[in-house]
Amino acid sequence: MGEGSVDLLEVQGIDVAYGHAKVLHHVSLKLDQGEMVFIVGRNGAGKTTLLQTISGHLKPTAGCILYQGKEVHGQPVEKLARLGIRFVAQDKKVFSNLTVRGNIELASYATGEDLGQAVERLTRLYPKFQDFLGRKAGGLSGGQREILLIGRALVASPRLLLIDEPTEGLAAIVIEDIFRILMEMKQEKVSTFIVEQNLSVVSRLADRVYVMKEGKIIKEMVDPAEIRNTAELESYL
Amino acid sequence: MEITNPSTGSFSVSPLRKSLFAQDILLIGVSFVLMAFFIPLHWVIDFTIFCILVLSFDLLYGYMGRLSFGHVLYYGTGAYMASLVLLHVSRNPFLAIAAGVAAGALLAMVLGFIVLQTDGAPFALINLAFNQIGFWLIASGLQAYTKGEDGLNTTAGTLGFINFSNHPFAFGFFLVCLLLVFVLLKVFTISPYGITVRSIKENEDRVKFLGYNVFYFKWFTFVLSSTLAALPGTLFAVFYGFVAPTIISPFGNTEVIFAVLIGGAGNLYGAIIGGVVYKLMSNYLATNITRWEMLLGILLLIWVFRFRRGLTGYAWEWILRGKRKPAVEV
Amino acid sequence: MIETLIYGLTIGAILYFFSIGLSITFGTMQIVNFAHGMIYSLGVYLFLTFMALFGKIFPFALVLAIAAMLPISFLIERLVIRRLYGESLDYAIIATYAVLLIGADLIKWIWGAMPQPTSDPLRISLRFLDMNVPLYRLVVFLSAVVLFLALRAFFNRSIIGKIVVAALEDRAGVRGLGLDVNRYFSIVFVIGSGLAVLGGVLYAPIATAEPYMGFHILLVAFAVVIVGGMGNLTGTFFSAFVLGLVIAITARFWSQAADTMVFAVMALVLLKNSLLAAWRRVAKTVMGAG
Repeated sequence: MGEGSVDLLEVQGIDVAYGHAKVLHHVSLKLDQGEMVFIVGRNGAGKTTLLQTISGHLKPTAGCILYQGKEVHGQPVEKLARLGIRFVAQDKKVFSNLTVRGNIELASYATGEDLGQAVERLTRLYPKFQDFLGRKAGGLSGGQREILLIGRALVASPRLLLIDEPTEGLAAIVIEDIFRILMEMKQEKVSTFIVEQNLSVVSRLADRVYVMKEGKIIKEMVDPAEIRNTAELESYL
Repeated sequence: MEITNPSTGSFSVSPLRKSLFAQDILLIGVSFVLMAFFIPLHWVIDFTIFCILVLSFDLLYGYMGRLSFGHVLYYGTGAYMASLVLLHVSRNPFLAIAAGVAAGALLAMVLGFIVLQTDGAPFALINLAFNQIGFWLIASGLQAYTKGEDGLNTTAGTLGFINFSNHPFAFGFFLVCLLLVFVLLKVFTISPYGITVRSIKENEDRVKFLGYNVFYFKWFTFVLSSTLAALPGTLFAVFYGFVAPTIISPFGNTEVIFAVLIGGAGNLYGAIIGGVVYKLMSNYLATNITRWEMLLGILLLIWVFRFRRGLTGYAWEWILRGKRKPAVEV
Repeated sequence: MIETLIYGLTIGAILYFFSIGLSITFGTMQIVNFAHGMIYSLGVYLFLTFMALFGKIFPFALVLAIAAMLPISFLIERLVIRRLYGESLDYAIIATYAVLLIGADLIKWIWGAMPQPTSDPLRISLRFLDMNVPLYRLVVFLSAVVLFLALRAFFNRSIIGKIVVAALEDRAGVRGLGLDVNRYFSIVFVIGSGLAVLGGVLYAPIATAEPYMGFHILLVAFAVVIVGGMGNLTGTFFSAFVLGLVIAITARFWSQAADTMVFAVMALVLLKNSLLAAWRRVAKTVMGAG
C-alpha cells in the first residue's frame, strides 16, 4: 500500500466465512478507475460472496478492502452506497410493488439526482421503458428487471459498480441487449466488477479477467489476446 | 449424563443412569425441606405448586421452543374441575386430583389439535384467546356452575393422616409430586422421544425431512405439558379449599414466563430455581414495594437485553470457565 | 339496532386507528409490539390531564397529548424495538410486554388506579331514521375512512411511503441505494403511535380510562391484525370494522361475551386454512365412499 496507488478498489488478502465454513481464502484483487473487470469461475467458487463482501453485505474475517485509498471493510451497506458503490444482485430483485418510475425515484431521492435526468438515462439504455414507466416493476421480465436494476444503479453516476451474473437465466436476444448496455458503460468508463458465466460476453468486454476456484483467485488475465480467446478462458475453469 | 449448553441450546446425551436421579431427588428434596426452616411453610407449599407449573411450561417453551400466552388455562381447569368434583361428586381428594388432571389432559388433547395449526406469534395469541375464553366461561358464562367471581369453597375429605389442610402432610405430598414430575420430565427429555422434540425446536424442517411426523410430536408434548399444568391446579384447589376466576386469568401467564426466564429456559433445574426465586421476589417485594409491577417490567427488560441465559446459564458459564473445552455440541 | 351498528362502526374506527401501528410494526420488523398499548393508554391519560388543565378545549388537549407521546414513542422505538430487530419472537414479545407493564404501573402511580370517566365533547345528536345518533360517533367513523384514504395516498405517492413499501420487500436493495432503512421504519413507527393516541383520545369520551386499558385494547387489536392479515393495512381496515360490529352486536344480546366473541372469530380465522384442509379431507373420504 504505497503513496502512488490510485486504484479505485484494492482487496488485500481477505478471508470470508459463513459461520465456521471459510468461503474465501486470502483473496486479493484490484480495480483501476474506468476499468471493466470480470470475475469468472464455476458455481460455488465464491464469486457472489466476494461481491457481497465488497459491497458491505458481509464482513471479512481477515484482510482488508481499500476503496479510494481508505479502509472500508466491515462498514455498513448504506455507508458504502453513499460513497458511490452500487451492487446489482444475482436474484434480480426489484421493488416489485413500486412502478418502474418509482424504482428510479428512490434512487434519485437517495442521491439527489434529478428524477427526470435519471429516467431519461434509463430510457436511453432501453427505449421500451418509455412505455413502461407507470407499470409495476413486479410485472417485468427477467431481462427487463436486470436493465432496470442497472439503470437504478447508474443513477448519479456511481464510482464503483458491482454486478452479479447479469445474463444468468436470460434468452440469447436479451443477452445481446445487456451486452449492448455493458458496452455503453465500458465506453463511458464506468468502473465495474462483473461476475459472469457467459464467456462470450466476457471475452468481448473485459479489460482484465480474474479466475476463481474454490474460494481463491487462481489466475489473473491481462493479455487482450488471451481474453479474446474463449477456449483459453474456458480451460482455466 | 446429559449436558445442555444453555446459551446455544445445543445438547449432548449419553445413556440413562438411574443412580443420577437419586442425586437430583436428594438435592431438590433436601433444598425444599431446608427452605421450610427459614420460610413460612405455606410459602414453601406455594413454591412447590408454582414450580410444578413452571416445569410444565418449560417443557413447552424451553424444550420445544413454543411460547404460549395461555398456559394458565390448564392450571385453572385442573383447579376448577377438582373443586367441582369435591363439591358435587365426592370428598375424596385423590379423586378430585385425578379428575382435574384428566380434565386438563382432555382439554389439551382437543385444543392441541387446533392451536398447533399455528406457530410463532399466532400460536402465542391463539392460546391467549382460548385462555381468555376459558376465563370468561368461568367468570361469567358458566356462572351457574362456577359461582363466577365469588369462587368455589370446598373441603376435602380426610382419612387418618391424609389431610390436605394439614400443612406438613400437604407439603410432603406436594414435594413428592414435584420430584415425580421432575423425574418424569428428565426421563422424557433424555429419551429418544424427548430428543426429537428438542430437535424440533432447533430445526423443525430438518426433523420433518428425516421422516418424523412432527405434528404428532408437538401435539403430544403440548398435551403432556398442559396435563402437568393441571396437576398443580388440582393441588392448589385441594389445599386451599377455595378457587376464584383469578386462578385462570391470562395475566397469570406473566408470572410463569418470568419464572422460566429467570431460571434459564430449557433446563429443569432452571425451572425450579426460577420458580422459587420468582415467588420469593413477589412475596417479599410485592409487600414492600408498591411499584412492584414496574420493577418486574424493568427486570424483564434487563433480562431480554442483558441476562438472557438466566441464572443457570450464568452458573453454567462459570463452571465452564474452569475447563478448556465446552460440552460437545450435537 | 341502528344504534348498535353505529356503535359497532365507532368501535371499529377506534380499533383501526390503534391497529395500524401494530400492523405496520409487524410488517416492517416482524415484531409483535405490546408496548403499543402503553402508548395508547399513556396518551389518553395525558389527554385527560391536559383537558383538565387547559379549560376542556378538546382539539388543543388532543394535539398536546399526541405531541407529548411522539418523543416517548420515538424513544421506545430507538431503545427497545430497534434492538429487537432480527431477534427471535419471544424476546420481542417479552420486552415489549415489559414496557406495557411499566406503563400501566406508571399510570397507576401518577394518576391512581381508579377509572376516569369522561363525556361526549360534541353533545349533539342527529335525527336519522327516527334514531338519535350522536354526531360524535359519526365523526369518529368518518375520520377512520379519511385516514384509510390518507394512508393509501401516503404509501402509494409519498416518497417515504414508497421507501417503506420497497424496504418491506427488499431491505437490502433499499440500503444499497444509500438509504437508512431504520430511520424510515422509525418514522412510520412514530406515525403509528400518534394514530394510536388519536384513536384513544377519540374513544375516551365514550368510554372510561383505566390503567389496564392498554392491555384490553391490545388483545382485541391482535385479533384485528390477525384477521386482517399482519402487515396488511387494507385488511386491517375491514377487519377492524367487522370485529367492531361483532363486539357491538354481541354486547347487545349477551353483554359479557362481547370481547370473547372477538377471540372466537380470531380463532376461526387463524384456523380457517386448516379447517378448510380438514373439510376437504372429510369431503374426499365421503365422496370416495359414495
